[in-house]
Amino acid sequence: METEPIPKSAALVNGLPDVGLVGLLAASHIIRELKLKEVGGIESDLLPPMIVLHGGLPKSPIRFFANNSLVVLISETTVPVPLIRPLASTVVDLAKSKAARLVLSLGGMAVSNRQDIDAPKVFAALSSKDVEENLRGTAEVLEEGYIIGAYALILRMCAQASIPAITLLTQSYYNHPDPVAAAATLTAVNKILDLNVSVSELLKNGEEIRLRSKDLMHRTHEEMQKMNKSHEDDLPALYG
Amino acid sequence: MTGWNAHAASIHPLYNMVVGPAEVVLTVDLPYVNQKEVKVRCPTEDSVEVYAETNRKITFKDLGAKHRHGEFTCYRALIQIPYKVDEKKIISKFKGGVLKLHIPRLR
Repeated sequence: METEPIPKSAALVNGLPDVGLVGLLAASHIIRELKLKEVGGIESDLLPPMIVLHGGLPKSPIRFFANNSLVVLISETTVPVPLIRPLASTVVDLAKSKAARLVLSLGGMAVSNRQDIDAPKVFAALSSKDVEENLRGTAEVLEEGYIIGAYALILRMCAQASIPAITLLTQSYYNHPDPVAAAATLTAVNKILDLNVSVSELLKNGEEIRLRSKDLMHRTHEEMQKMNKSHEDDLPALYG
Repeated sequence: MTGWNAHAASIHPLYNMVVGPAEVVLTVDLPYVNQKEVKVRCPTEDSVEVYAETNRKITFKDLGAKHRHGEFTCYRALIQIPYKVDEKKIISKFKGGVLKLHIPRLR
């Protein structure tokens, strides 16, 4: 539902609740730092009957924000498993209709030794090989593995529609909000999209962010369990 | 809100448990906690209690929920473990506000 015109040929960034809330924290930070304008939202009977209040006004929990060259999707509620496929379709249809130049989904990659990692590494899954140059050396390409959830479907649907797409997955805690991983993700996003989003506030306010996000992380964890998110830890049995 | 006990001024922290053949690994998210405030014990052979005072009082207002009343000064969690564990051999590490416990299973 477009409330303001969504620009054409923009980069579309997705920040949905997922591992470590990395993508949501990163995308929300982009919106705040670049002062993006709200341009639309997603309504669905598959969502609980809910609004989120900001500035005293009722908002859809799943919303788009934009400026002339960038569109950012965030969700302030968990995406229920039955909504994942319709949401992915909506995102890709939007990318198609607006001739998005790149679809960039941001997420976390759970690692058991996250506590020992001071500088989380960023990995990337690509819709096609020729998208790799967009990475500009910011991430290591994932050659083999599983991705579970909305980003999996968005990436595959983009590949099928020949829309350039990247999913960035940064080493993070599984079910603790991880602002440090979000900051590492943003460093990569800055280079990929030629942005200059400062991460200093994200890092400075890390403890507050972790506590504010606690409830959403808890609910996201419950939803991740329903979709067998732990399958991402498995090794693919066959060669491609 | 889940895990906020205003009556006891305590927060139930997020945690993750991985059960292995020899040990249980527990990570607990404890923002606003200094390491020396963290206390761990096993009240029973199949449970772990984590308690930690925060280094500042936390209110719902601080977190943007002006319509909620509550002040919190500690984390408290009693976590059930599916196997009996050895409290005496727990190895703990606290870094970046995250507590990680390696808890050997009792043979």
